[in-house]
Amino acid sequence: MKFGIGLNANDPIPDVLAKGLEAERLGLDYVWVSDLPSQRYAPVVASATALTTHKIRIGLGLISPFLHTPQQIASCLNTLIGSYGGRFELCIGPGDREQLKRVGVDLDALDNIPQHLLKAKKEISQALENRGLECRIWLGAQGSKLLKTAQSFDGVLLNYSSPEMIGWALEVTGKAQGGKPSLVGVFAPSYIHRTFKPEMYKLLQLSSAIVAVEASNSVLRRFSLLEALGPARRELLSKPLDSSVLKLIPPEVVEKFSIFKSQDELPTYIGELERLGVEHVVFSYPQGYSIESLGELAEGLSRIRGTYTQVD
Amino acid sequence: MNLSLGLTTSSSIERTKWISGMADALGLHGVWIGEDIGSVQEIFTTTSLALLGTRRVNVGIGVTSPFIRNVTTIARAAIALSEIAPKRFRLGLGVGGLRDLASMGIQIKKPTEMMRKTVRLLRVIWTSRGIPVSEGDLKIGGYRPQFGGKEEIPIFMGVRGPKLLAQAAELADGLILSGPKKYVEESIKLVLSRRTTLGLSSKFCFVLWTPTIMVLERSDLELVKKIVAIVAADTPDSVLEMAGIAKDEVDEVRTDIAKHGIKDAAKNISSNLVEQFCISGDAGGICESLRHHSKLGVDEVVFGPPYGRDPKKAITEVAETWVRTE
Repeated sequence: MKFGIGLNANDPIPDVLAKGLEAERLGLDYVWVSDLPSQRYAPVVASATALTTHKIRIGLGLISPFLHTPQQIASCLNTLIGSYGGRFELCIGPGDREQLKRVGVDLDALDNIPQHLLKAKKEISQALENRGLECRIWLGAQGSKLLKTAQSFDGVLLNYSSPEMIGWALEVTGKAQGGKPSLVGVFAPSYIHRTFKPEMYKLLQLSSAIVAVEASNSVLRRFSLLEALGPARRELLSKPLDSSVLKLIPPEVVEKFSIFKSQDELPTYIGELERLGVEHVVFSYPQGYSIESLGELAEGLSRIRGTYTQVD
Repeated sequence: MNLSLGLTTSSSIERTKWISGMADALGLHGVWIGEDIGSVQEIFTTTSLALLGTRRVNVGIGVTSPFIRNVTTIARAAIALSEIAPKRFRLGLGVGGLRDLASMGIQIKKPTEMMRKTVRLLRVIWTSRGIPVSEGDLKIGGYRPQFGGKEEIPIFMGVRGPKLLAQAAELADGLILSGPKKYVEESIKLVLSRRTTLGLSSKFCFVLWTPTIMVLERSDLELVKKIVAIVAADTPDSVLEMAGIAKDEVDEVRTDIAKHGIKDAAKNISSNLVEQFCISGDAGGICESLRHHSKLGVDEVVFGPPYGRDPKKAITEVAETWVRTE
């Protein structure tokens, strides 16, 4: 099992770099830098992170080929790999629907997003291959239409955390029947703690609420969450996701979309994921909120590292 | 007057690192990186390499185009680069090569308006952390940047033609000029006059980035003529007019290129066109010629590309000669 942390490009660059270094020191396998339209440009953050670290693998993504052309994404990787060596991973996916809309990219107006993504993946792969570069390309996915295309990628990063939902997603991809994709990972808003801190929980609530309200109706219906999210979704039509909207989302819904565990609970949870075939777990914001919260994650993981065999 | 070194995203990573390291070590003013649209290196990531690998030299993008990227991408990349090296990053914006843009299926409509809105929006985004930003014509609505605050990133415009030059005078912190000497002179006059009319300060930086090639042997002139053929053919008629260059002569070059290719077209390039479009000679001659532009009002000159037959040797000799003769 490999473990990664999502670095937050909301932070000023020096803070991101300090966290990247700490993640490496703590023995994590990956840092992932997500490219959200409201945050610092991920390829530049990844470049600075690569310079200050030595061996930790760096994931670029999720990055949207609807905001950047496949050629631009391939060029980023070309420059990164050419400069720092082959320790990069790429994850592409549609991106944050709401944030993209605010910068003029309307995913709702596009036909057949999965086909667009497949085409983008092929173009990026081809461009890298032409330069003799290797980089795994993951699909960041949640809905069933997208999950069905996962077999064409090197791996799939599922935007789920509950074992029930992950199990369903794997069935859709065909992985459960022994098919591709060869690699399965999950990335989800996370808070692994030694000592519970309410302010961290608030950040977790907000991050997972974003994932929950953006989930497709079919997914929410399948897991009987559509009704519970209805009031919040209606409110979001006229206002941003703030604390008043957050109050409308039941805590159990939020926790379905997050990894919220004490250090003691973590090994059991990871064991469940491992049994499902998950080999990569990326602990996203707010786990990387501070050096302290990174340390709490590493402490929790050290209990697992002793229990589970590392797979290279 | 300051000397900077130039490169593009078509340069290899090794050359990018070497040139920026050399500029830093010799105490030159800056490095400018131009975006060749569709090239294998990415402009912002390449710029990060130059900034991360140096300690004091200024590093600028000269230029990238809002026609090929979402303006918010430019905004957040610029902020990240500025944070990597506070006060060393400069952002250059331009429309981009019309042929390159056409090859990507991008049609340029109202470039003056697009550039104006882009520059204004960038400055708003950089100072609007957490505040909703909208610009309907650029399809930005309720955008909330989660970065920025006090950053002051100098914006240079790499544009040509009277309308865009006048706009640069009004909106930018500097101008990246390229073209015949007479055109450069006229452009500087136009910009300064416009700034005076608008009551703007005389603090404005003129950067000259024109093809520079070190010539050591007679055979090096072939490279010079090839470059001049390409540049002359691509120069808008409005620029030729401002420079007092006969359009007929350049039209002949354009026809030659279309019919016979660059190599043959280069054979017919006159010494007048070479003089107008390129700075060439030995290291001493190039430095002298570059310095001569300070009389026109140029504050900063850029050496290269294509540098010469042996780029490393040319860059080293010109940079060292410049420092020695300062």
